[in-house]
Amino acid sequence: MGEIVAGFGVPHSPSFPAMVEREGPQCVPAQLYREVAQALHAIKPDLVVVFDSDHLNTFFLTPLPTLCIGVTDRTEGPNDGTPALPHYIVPVEERVAGHMHKFGLDHGFDLAVNQEFTVDHSIMVPLHFLRPQMDVPIVPLFINGIVPPLPGARRCFALGQMVREAAEALPAGTTVALLASGDFSNDIGGLRAPRGRHAGTADPEWADTVLEYLRQVKIDDLLNEATSDRMARAGNVAGELLNWIAMLGAIGDRKPSFLEPEAHRGHAFGVWRWD
Amino acid sequence: MSVYFVHKLCKEARRDPAFRERLQQDPEAALAEYRFSDEERKAVLEGDVANLLQMGAHGYLLGTLGNLRLFGLTPELYTQRVDAAKER
Repeated sequence: MGEIVAGFGVPHSPSFPAMVEREGPQCVPAQLYREVAQALHAIKPDLVVVFDSDHLNTFFLTPLPTLCIGVTDRTEGPNDGTPALPHYIVPVEERVAGHMHKFGLDHGFDLAVNQEFTVDHSIMVPLHFLRPQMDVPIVPLFINGIVPPLPGARRCFALGQMVREAAEALPAGTTVALLASGDFSNDIGGLRAPRGRHAGTADPEWADTVLEYLRQVKIDDLLNEATSDRMARAGNVAGELLNWIAMLGAIGDRKPSFLEPEAHRGHAFGVWRWD
Repeated sequence: MSVYFVHKLCKEARRDPAFRERLQQDPEAALAEYRFSDEERKAVLEGDVANLLQMGAHGYLLGTLGNLRLFGLTPELYTQRVDAAKER
C-alpha cells in the first residue's frame, strides 16, 4: 500500500522570482521557501500531488473544468511570462495520475482530464523555489479557485480524502507528498484590492482566521466558514484556499510542523510532516 | 452571462498581436463580432473598467486592458478608475 508522507503549502506570487533575484537569498520569501524546500528534500517522496488553481492560462472558459487531473508524462511552463522565472520541463507521474483519474471515477469524483498542457506561475513559482532540479514528478490536480462559481470547501476536502485513498491503493512503498499552491486573501485588479494598488491583501483578518484554524487543527470550523461568499470578500483569487483545504483532506487531522505567515501578503508557508 | 465576451476580449488581446493592433486602430470594428450587451460594449469602448467589474468581469483578466494600454487606459488609470468604485 502507498502512503501519504507529507504536505506542503506555499504561495505562488509571480513577483517572487524577480524579487529574490533582486534582493538575494536572505529576503523573507526566499527564506520561507527554503524552509519548505529542505523538508521536501529530507522526505524525498516518489511524487507530489499538486493542488493548484490555474489563472485561465492552462484553461479558458471553453470549457473551464471545476476539477481536472493532468494525465501525461510531462508538462512545462510558465506559460504566462513570469518575470525572472526560467522555463522548466516538469515530469508528471502519468501512471499514478491515470490511476487517480480512474480511482476518482469509481469513488464519486468525475474529474475532467487533460493530456497535453502547459502550466502557469501557480505551479512553476512553487516548483522553482522548492525543487529547481525538477526531478520529483508531480500529479497536477486543478481546482477552480478563481472564476465563480467555485466548488464547495467540503467537496474539495473530500477530493483530498479521495486522493489519500487513491495513494493508499498504490503499490507498497510508494510515497506521496502533497503541495497546495495559493493565497488566503488576495485581490488582483478587482474592487477589493487595497486603495491605490492594482493588487494586494483584501482581508488580512480572514487570512489570520485561516492561519489560526490551521494551527489549531480546527478543520471543521474552516470548512464551515470558507464559503464562496466569505472567500470572495477576501479577494478575487482567495478561492486558492481550496487547494489548501484539499491538501488537508489528504493529510487528515494533523498539526503543521511549520507554519509561518507573511501577514501583509495574505498567505503562509506550511509543512506537515510526521516522519 | 455575456460578460464572457469581455473575458474573451482580454484573453485574445493578450494572445494575438494582430488583434491588439486592430483594437488600437479601430476598436469598434475590431469588436464587431463580439456579442456584448449594449452596456458592456459602451463600457469596453470607454475603458470603464469599474463598471465592467461590477458587471462581473474578473479583475485578473480585466487588468490586461490597462497593461496593454487599450481603450485609452494605462495601468495607472485602471487603478484610479477601480479605486473610485471601491467601497469606502
